[in-house]
Amino acid sequence: MKLQIKRLISQLILFFSANLGYPHYPGLKTGFCYPFFYCQACPASTSACPLRSLEESVDHGNFSWRLFFFPLLILGVLGVVVGRAVCGWACPIGFLQRGTGTVARRVKKYRFARKLGTYKAERYFRYIKYVLLIAFVFVTSYLIGFIFTDICPVGFLTGTIPVLLLNPGKFVPNYFFPVALVIVILFLVLILLIERGWCRYFCPVGALLAPFNKISFLHVSVNTTNCTHCNVCSYQCPMGIDVANMHRDPECILCGKCVTACPNELIAFEGRGR
Amino acid sequence: MKKFVVLQVCVFIVISGALGGMFAFTPVYNEVRSGIVLVLCLSCLKLEPKTLADFTFVTVDNQPHPGFVLENLSHGVVFLFYSEDSCAGCDVMYPVIKDLFSVEFGKQDMFHTRVTFENATVGYVYVNINHATDELRNSERVYDKDQIHGNPMCTIVTLGYDNGKVRPKYTSVYGTLTTFGCQTDAERLVFLQQLVHESIEMYNQNKAGYPHH
Repeated sequence: MKLQIKRLISQLILFFSANLGYPHYPGLKTGFCYPFFYCQACPASTSACPLRSLEESVDHGNFSWRLFFFPLLILGVLGVVVGRAVCGWACPIGFLQRGTGTVARRVKKYRFARKLGTYKAERYFRYIKYVLLIAFVFVTSYLIGFIFTDICPVGFLTGTIPVLLLNPGKFVPNYFFPVALVIVILFLVLILLIERGWCRYFCPVGALLAPFNKISFLHVSVNTTNCTHCNVCSYQCPMGIDVANMHRDPECILCGKCVTACPNELIAFEGRGR
Repeated sequence: MKKFVVLQVCVFIVISGALGGMFAFTPVYNEVRSGIVLVLCLSCLKLEPKTLADFTFVTVDNQPHPGFVLENLSHGVVFLFYSEDSCAGCDVMYPVIKDLFSVEFGKQDMFHTRVTFENATVGYVYVNINHATDELRNSERVYDKDQIHGNPMCTIVTLGYDNGKVRPKYTSVYGTLTTFGCQTDAERLVFLQQLVHESIEMYNQNKAGYPHH
C-alpha cells in the first residue's frame, strides 16, 4: 500500500477516535489529553486539549504540577518515539490542512502566493508558534486568565460551529466571539494560501512537539552524500523545508512525501540513531 | 551513534515512567476528565447560554453563598422562594410555585424538600421571612440581585462556567413576573418551568467540574 494512503487511513481512524464522545454515540469521555490540537468543547470530543490543561495549570498565578506535566508527558512519550509524526499522521487539524493543501498548491502558481512562502523573513515566522505558546498559553493565563482559549480558531471550528448547529437558539455569542470569528477567517485564508500555514507558523502544540524531532527514534534521514540536489523533495514538502539539507528538522512532520518523491530513493524513515 | 541511542532510550524511560507514575499515584486522570472533558467550556466556545433571566456569579456585596445552598447545590439546582405574611404578590405566586413542583405546604411553614423536575433533582427551599431562621432570612440579601428588597422573590442557584472554573451562578426574579410579560398563572408557570429547565441544563453541563459534586 502506498505511504500516503496509509497516512490517510491513519488520519481518518484518529479523527474518528478523537470523536467518540458524542452522548450515546458511544459517549466515550476519557481523562486523557489529546497529543494533538483538538478542542474538548467539541460535542463529540473524547479527551482534553493539551493547551487547556496547561492553561489551567498556571491559571491566575496558581500552579498545578499535575495538570502541567500530564499533557507534556503524553506529548513527550509520543514525541520521543515518533517526533512530530503526530502532526502529519494523527492531528485532525493537520488532516484539514491536507485537504486545503491541494488548494494552497494551486494558489501557489500565482506570483503573490508564491512570494508569501519565500520571503527571507519567512523562516523567522516559524518562531511565532513558540512565542504564542509562551505568551498566550502560559504568561497570559498566569497573569490574567485564559486568553488563548477565548480566541482559539480550532475551538471555533471544532466546538463553536458544531454546538451552534446542534443547539440552535440555545446560546448567544460572548464578547470574544467577534474577535474569534475574525481569527478563524484569517486561519482559513492562511491555510488556503499557504500549505500547512497553521502548522508552520502558529500551532502551539506543534511548538511543544517540535523539539522532540531532535531526539525521536523515528525520523527522516537523507543520504546527503549521493544527493543530487534536484529539490523534488523540497518542492513536495508541505512544511516548506529544505529537505536535502535537513537533519532532524523540528519542522518535519514525517508525512513521508519527500520519501515517496525522491527519484533516487535517498530519503527514508529511520527507526533509531542519528 | 550508540551514545545517542542510549540517550533516546533514557529519555523514553524517564518520560514514560513519569507518565505511568502520574496515572498510578495521582488523581490526574479524573481531574482532567471531570474538570475539563466533562465540563462544557464556554471560553472555548466563545458562547454564553441563552436564558430567560440574567444569571450572574456575583452575589450582593460579594457575600458568600449560604451553607445550606451549597449543600443542596451538590445534589442539583436550588430553587428558593421568598415570601412574607402580608404580601399580595406572594399570594399570587404561592399556587404557581406549588404547581411548579407539585408540593403542598402552608404559607407560614418552613419548607425544604428535594423534588424531581424533568428527571433532575431540585432542592426547593421555601422561606417566609417572618418565620424563617436568621440564615434563611439573610440569604435573601445575598441573592437580591437587583437590590429590590421586596417579596415575592424567586431565586434559582445553578452551576456556571466562569473562565475555567465551575462556580455557583444564580438569578432572582421578582414580583408576579409581569416584567417578563406574564399576566396569568399559566404564563407564570410556563416561565418558571422554562427557567428551571435552563438552570438544570446549565447544571448538567458543569456538574462534573463542581468540586463538591
